[in-house]
Amino acid sequence: MIRALPNTLGALGVAFLLAFPLLYAAGNYDYVMHLWITAFFYAILASSWALLAGYGGQFSFGRMAFMALGAYSAGLLDNYVVLSSAPTGTCAEFGLFGGWLVFINPTGVSTSAVNCLQAARAAWPEGVSTSRLPLIVSILIGAGVGGGFGWLIGTLVLRLRAAYLALFTVGFSEILRAVISAEVWITRGQAGLPMSPIFPDGITLFGTYFASNAKLPVYYVMLGLFLLTLLVLILLARSRIGLFLRALREDEDAAEALGVDTVKYKRTVFVVTAMIAATAGAVQGHYVGIITPNTLILLQMALVIAMAVIGGLENIVAAAVGAIIISFGLEFLRNDFVILGQSVDMSTWRLVFFGLLLMLTLRFLRNGVIHGGLLWLERRAVGAETVAKRRAGAEGSQ
Amino acid sequence: MTITLEVNDIRKKFGGLQVLKGVSFRIEGPELVGLIGPNGAGKTTLTNVLDGAIKPDSGIIRLNGQRIDPLAPYEVARAGLGRTFQVTRAFRRMSVLENLYVPALAMGHARSERDCRDQAMEILEFLTIDHLRNEYGRALSGGQQKLLELGRLLMLDPDVYILDEPFAGVHPTLMATIYKWIQRVNGQGKAIILISHQMESIFTLCSRLLVLNYGDLIADGVPSVVKTDPAVIEAYLGHEEDMSGTGMVNLKEENHA
Repeated sequence: MIRALPNTLGALGVAFLLAFPLLYAAGNYDYVMHLWITAFFYAILASSWALLAGYGGQFSFGRMAFMALGAYSAGLLDNYVVLSSAPTGTCAEFGLFGGWLVFINPTGVSTSAVNCLQAARAAWPEGVSTSRLPLIVSILIGAGVGGGFGWLIGTLVLRLRAAYLALFTVGFSEILRAVISAEVWITRGQAGLPMSPIFPDGITLFGTYFASNAKLPVYYVMLGLFLLTLLVLILLARSRIGLFLRALREDEDAAEALGVDTVKYKRTVFVVTAMIAATAGAVQGHYVGIITPNTLILLQMALVIAMAVIGGLENIVAAAVGAIIISFGLEFLRNDFVILGQSVDMSTWRLVFFGLLLMLTLRFLRNGVIHGGLLWLERRAVGAETVAKRRAGAEGSQ
Repeated sequence: MTITLEVNDIRKKFGGLQVLKGVSFRIEGPELVGLIGPNGAGKTTLTNVLDGAIKPDSGIIRLNGQRIDPLAPYEVARAGLGRTFQVTRAFRRMSVLENLYVPALAMGHARSERDCRDQAMEILEFLTIDHLRNEYGRALSGGQQKLLELGRLLMLDPDVYILDEPFAGVHPTLMATIYKWIQRVNGQGKAIILISHQMESIFTLCSRLLVLNYGDLIADGVPSVVKTDPAVIEAYLGHEEDMSGTGMVNLKEENHA
């Protein structure tokens, strides 16, 4: 019965998440939906990190960098590439499916500079239409860029272990942040790169129209991405790839001596998890409407790691649930509390509580709160089974 | 097909230290070869060179006619050479069964864990650790972990087995199981290179001995002849080491007699 518990809870959890936006009707609907969307975003990052670090033992601190690569790739395409029914004559462009793919020259953060498309528009006859690249295309390209960098970083760190790997990826993340901050002409630096909404013209679902800023359609997009991510990660973890990843986490040399191509599987896990993070970043960027280099700060990466650690690093679902709980917990702790008659400003103290929880988890529950509990049940059952078999064996031989 | 392992003039230097100075030998068929030598003789380095973990500076290694010295360890394993480690390397946070699944799936002997479960169970029963099948590797005693490593090798099913100190720190009861294991593998027509400081076991099991000393292969022959080789006796007794329990003390006495 205990073994069926996780599956039953999982099915109930998915049913709850699917039904929640339809059943919830309080006044703070948009706020709560926003919390869920953000929680799903972090859950995707934390669970993909669980496969990389928990299963593969690759303690990469580049999660937010891959996320940002996806978001910025999608954002740059969104801002600087359009499909046009007529050539501009001034922009870099080429014909595509009877129309034109136009690359707009970046004008930085200046509000007065006119880009080549705006200049062309002034001279165009009526009836010329332009549109942005389909969202799915820019998100997929974002995922591809993330995957490409995942392969590159995965290759560069093949011989690095533990702290060296962590430092290398921190370095990569910081370099990326510095480049994005510095190249203001194209990334708009700290001003942030605006991104169009996920449904720019709104969407009609089952006869109901939802405006571009409505939360419900985005909730289901992010939930879909989250569940798809979990499915992919769980299938990978349960396949031979998951087994090999755990073997190379435990002892790379021994795994290699037993025929495991460790280089191939390390690269695979880097690419897959980088693509997942990049996809999440691209979708989240379109949802929030802007992407800034601040999403790359180390604190953000620390937050994702802490979520996975508190949930349970070596269990994908536990890491995801940990991320959701911590996301809501941090938000809940924004409210001021009265402790022993003293009002406590939680906006500053909440991170102290969070830090304490992380420290206590690391000290007393190395496998995380959720996974640690499940593991305790499982190991207890295995221990009892072993003792029973040994006793049966001893009696049999008498 | 007869198993052949040809090792030809292998040299390896670490900094200023020449660890292997042109080692050559050939193993053919289901031989049970003991590889002995004092500490620092180069036995483990030779093992690491054979399994691809360390690349030799020069020399050629061929397994069943295929050159394996430029290959990565996983390619060497797939070519048919498996090894255990001097310090046991069980996958500590994986169950005993999962430890066995890794080589079977990596080699493509099985498509899924279910496919090779029966074989894994049979091996665990043979090794007398089937009751521990769902326990983590780290829950096993040192001796049981040695057995687990041998079980993994059976799942890998190579042509040549290199066993690096399989008897170190093992209880006599488990030692009997390892003896049985070696006889089973050898009986299947596989070649075994056995590295051990336990001379009694080496002389009981092996039909041929290779003796390494400071990177030189100083003897290669049947144990009864190697035993009396003055160079071997010098290698073992030329140092102020406590050789009790190696069986070589008697050799010196016999030699003097």
